[in-house]
Amino acid sequence: MQRPSRYAMEFAMNDPFTPPSSSATRATVDPAGMAAYAADASKVYGMGDTEVHALRSVTVGFQTGHFTAIMGPSGSGKSTLMHCMAGLDRLTSGETYIGGVPLSTLNDKQLTELRRDRVGFIFQAFNLVPTLNALENITLPMDLGSRKPDKEWVDHVIKTVGLADRIKHRPNELSGGQQQRVAVARALASRPDIVFGDEPTGNLDSRTSAEILDFMRQAVRELGQTIVMVTHDPVSASYSDRVLFLDDGAIVHEMSDPTPSSVFDTIKSLGD
Amino acid sequence: MFKLVYRGIVANLGRLILTLVSVALGVSFVSGSFILADSLRAIFNQVSEDAFAGVDANVRAEIGELSNDQAPARFDDDIIEAISAIPGVAYAEGGIFTAEQVYTVDAEGETVRPTGPPVFAASWGGPSPVSSFTLVDGEAPAWQQVALDQAQADKGGFAIGDQVTLSIPTGDPEQFELSGIIDFGEGGTGGAFFILLDLPTTQRILGADGQVDSIVVNGGDTPTGQLLADITPVLPDGLEVVSGETVEQEQKDQFGSFINAFGTALLIFAFIVLFVSIFIIYNTFAILVGQRTRQFGLLRSIGASSRQISVMVLVESMIIGAIASVIGLFGGIGVAALLKQLFSTAGGELPDGPLEIKPRTIVVVVVVGLLVTVGSALLPAFRAARVSPLEAVRDGGRKERSLRFRLISAAVVLLPGIGLLLFGMFGSIDGTTRRLVIIGIGAALSFIGASMASVLFAGPVAGVLGAPIANSRGIVGRLARDNAARNPQRTAATATALMIGLALITGVSVLASSLLASLDELLEDSIAADVFVVGARQAPQFSPLVVERMAELPEVEAVSGSLSVKAKLDGEVITIASYDTATGTRVINTDVVEGDVATLGTDGIAVLESEAKDRGLAPGDTVTIEMEDGFIGQLTIKAVFADQAAVRSPWFIDRELARTHVAADQVEEVGVVFSDSVTFEEGRAAVDEALQAFPQLESLDNSEYQEETQARVNQFQIIIYGLLVLCLIVAFIGIVNTLALSVLERIREIGLLRAVGTTRGQLKASVRWEAVIVSVFGSMLGIVMGLALGTATAVAVPGSFFSKIAIPWIQIAFFLVIGAAIGVVAAYFPARRAAKLNVLDAIAHE
Repeated sequence: MQRPSRYAMEFAMNDPFTPPSSSATRATVDPAGMAAYAADASKVYGMGDTEVHALRSVTVGFQTGHFTAIMGPSGSGKSTLMHCMAGLDRLTSGETYIGGVPLSTLNDKQLTELRRDRVGFIFQAFNLVPTLNALENITLPMDLGSRKPDKEWVDHVIKTVGLADRIKHRPNELSGGQQQRVAVARALASRPDIVFGDEPTGNLDSRTSAEILDFMRQAVRELGQTIVMVTHDPVSASYSDRVLFLDDGAIVHEMSDPTPSSVFDTIKSLGD
Repeated sequence: MFKLVYRGIVANLGRLILTLVSVALGVSFVSGSFILADSLRAIFNQVSEDAFAGVDANVRAEIGELSNDQAPARFDDDIIEAISAIPGVAYAEGGIFTAEQVYTVDAEGETVRPTGPPVFAASWGGPSPVSSFTLVDGEAPAWQQVALDQAQADKGGFAIGDQVTLSIPTGDPEQFELSGIIDFGEGGTGGAFFILLDLPTTQRILGADGQVDSIVVNGGDTPTGQLLADITPVLPDGLEVVSGETVEQEQKDQFGSFINAFGTALLIFAFIVLFVSIFIIYNTFAILVGQRTRQFGLLRSIGASSRQISVMVLVESMIIGAIASVIGLFGGIGVAALLKQLFSTAGGELPDGPLEIKPRTIVVVVVVGLLVTVGSALLPAFRAARVSPLEAVRDGGRKERSLRFRLISAAVVLLPGIGLLLFGMFGSIDGTTRRLVIIGIGAALSFIGASMASVLFAGPVAGVLGAPIANSRGIVGRLARDNAARNPQRTAATATALMIGLALITGVSVLASSLLASLDELLEDSIAADVFVVGARQAPQFSPLVVERMAELPEVEAVSGSLSVKAKLDGEVITIASYDTATGTRVINTDVVEGDVATLGTDGIAVLESEAKDRGLAPGDTVTIEMEDGFIGQLTIKAVFADQAAVRSPWFIDRELARTHVAADQVEEVGVVFSDSVTFEEGRAAVDEALQAFPQLESLDNSEYQEETQARVNQFQIIIYGLLVLCLIVAFIGIVNTLALSVLERIREIGLLRAVGTTRGQLKASVRWEAVIVSVFGSMLGIVMGLALGTATAVAVPGSFFSKIAIPWIQIAFFLVIGAAIGVVAAYFPARRAAKLNVLDAIAHE
């Protein structure tokens, strides 16, 4: 199932940001100062003829206090990269780190606790536990770890997302946009090392989507949070500080301070 | 269409398997009940056929409504000669047959007896055309000789030629030479022991010189009708002759009525189990239909009619029902074996024999299995049919019925149910079967109504029950509580299964403890005796010689034997108690409120206070009594006793009057009071010494007597609990099933919880706590209903049976713990399954 990718080869050879994939000459990006970091990360599904390389020796770091978007066509490995870096999935080879902790050394329970204490999640949909109200959903990871929420911080987050008056509502009493805001608040409430978003605005109309993305950018700029977001929408990607382009399991391009049109152009040029 | 049904079943196989198991369990119990009853019937029919093989006519005392069917009346044996002399008679033999009168005694001085079946002693003239016994080894018994069956000889360690000690009702044990080993008929003894002696020896040891209780006649080639006609003229008044077929049939009917009652009792439990499984099947199909709403909507939108949708669901249930029936049919063989085990563990062993599977059993089982399954799926099927094509695209929550509608419909079922239940218990109804059916329908409706009503408060109550868990277990507890409360219908239906089981168990425990408390009170209030002499559980009656022997002891001041007899009092057949009233109230404190018991004599009678009031009788009034031997006398009421007295009948007479007019002069219990000059230990030692002549008897002091009574009540309780445990197993399966289905429904939610940091352990704990909340809810409902049912029944039982209501709080607390434990165990697999889900797959789950 390997798609021959002309442009991938091209960028892999020319792009100075992407470290060479051979382990002998692996780039020595310093994991320190990185909220999350992947070194020579590979993920292979299946065996023999049905082998699929979802990730091919990806080395990438996400700096604390940055908002990164990951883009790429479906099957490019962007979700796999995010899942592996977030501790939801395991690599075939290589290593990923969260706050300096190598994830491959953790057992399931430690991995779960790491997600609970140091990672925040925003999914595309079905982000909230239907039986809990908005506030309970927001403090859920801390409650699970029997940690006392930092009340001031949580209040601040809630106020910033503009949910103060709907905080006692159950998810089914909230609109889709409000639900996603609760999800963002939950992801931030425990001050995680890093927040991963999997198409967090994929289900929303463009106006609501803009609100959420604005808020995410605000969280990074003003609250000093670190967010990594997978998206296929150039407009969404333009809210980030940096865009990584993935194809066929490898990072093929990287762009700083994106705008919708620059992202769009890049996608177009990569597709050619 | 049928491809869809097939695919639906295959796709939901895992979800349907537990439903299948619960139907199969109920059906197994039904088929097991039939198989066991049929097998017992076959064994006893064989016994009856064996007993009267070669018997063309049977001469006996006429049987009236006061006759004791356990002990036929005896008559003079000189009539045998006259019968033998009749030309049509080929062979005639007179004999005596007794049950639980004579026993072999082993080297340790203990009675040799089987655990369950009885011990018979009979006269035997050796192999003959009318003999139901065959000689296996040795010879037929002659004077002072005995023949035994092989099992008895083995158990007692007897060999041919040995001197065997027999305990006899007319005196001290005696030694008899073992002349031979016998067997009974074609089918063996069915576990019973036989002691065979020649007629003169039998007559001597039973104190029945010159008497027999039946004459069996073989007519050779003479037609039976001719034979009966020939014999009739020579018979004196009071004797009758009937054909061999008649006695055989009478015997079969007598066994049959016992087996029918036994089989009916088992079937009642089987239907209780099936009733419980109805809730589980209903719940499963309701959940499955709910989960497939989108699919049904899609089918509707591409042109399936609503009829087709409901037929699809019903066909699915039919297939499940059919498979479950077949499994249940064979499961019944196992259940029959298990039931036998249960009864033998509780001390009531059933005879051995092959298991009978009749075509009727197969038909009933398949029909019942199908009806129950399809019937339970009806409502969900109609609900599926109502799915609109639009719901394929809508992520539709189910339309909730209004509170008012629910309240009214619950009341419509619950109130008539309670009404029928009360009518069944208190109303004047002819026939036990009809009464039971009414009570059964009333109970079923009450349970269904309670279940419907419980939907109304399942949510809030689960919330309240879950509050301590939510408070103490943090977010895990809160999730558990909210999940238990989020779908009240499901929680209610799941809890109902447990509710029924626990309601019945609680009800039984209330009855048993009230009965024990009443008996305790009775014994404390009204027993003056130092010790009681009682027989074995299977043989409560014994020889009145014991009373005489006790009276002779210098250590004993007063003795009173008791005997219950059938008699006609002012035209009505009742059971009348009797005891040695000359002892007054020294042995049995009858709690006399008026008159003097000691003056009763043979022309007096004592009556219960409330009975006297009902009939408008007072001391000095007379009543007419008719007894078994035809005696008719006028008895004067000489004493009135209080309702709490230790007398088992509203009437009692002196034992002398009773024994002289019945065929079987026996006693049931002998109370003994020691004289003041001896200590209790000395008195007890003297009684036990005298009882060595009667190894089947034992003496019990007051506390032992109470323990013995308690043990009997407990034994009964254990059997009922054993049967009701099956209800709990089905309820358990129901909880597992609902939880498993709920977990499947919540896969994405579980994935989310895991992603944001719920550990596997926390997830398991939350499923477990959810199960505990549901099961405690069900248990509490059941306990409340059980308390009401048990108390109402105890109040409803007439007479002084329950003088006191005792609620066994500790037991009930234990039931609640069991209920919670059922939840914990039931949660094991669903919780494990939830915890094992792959996080990414779960999040991506459709």
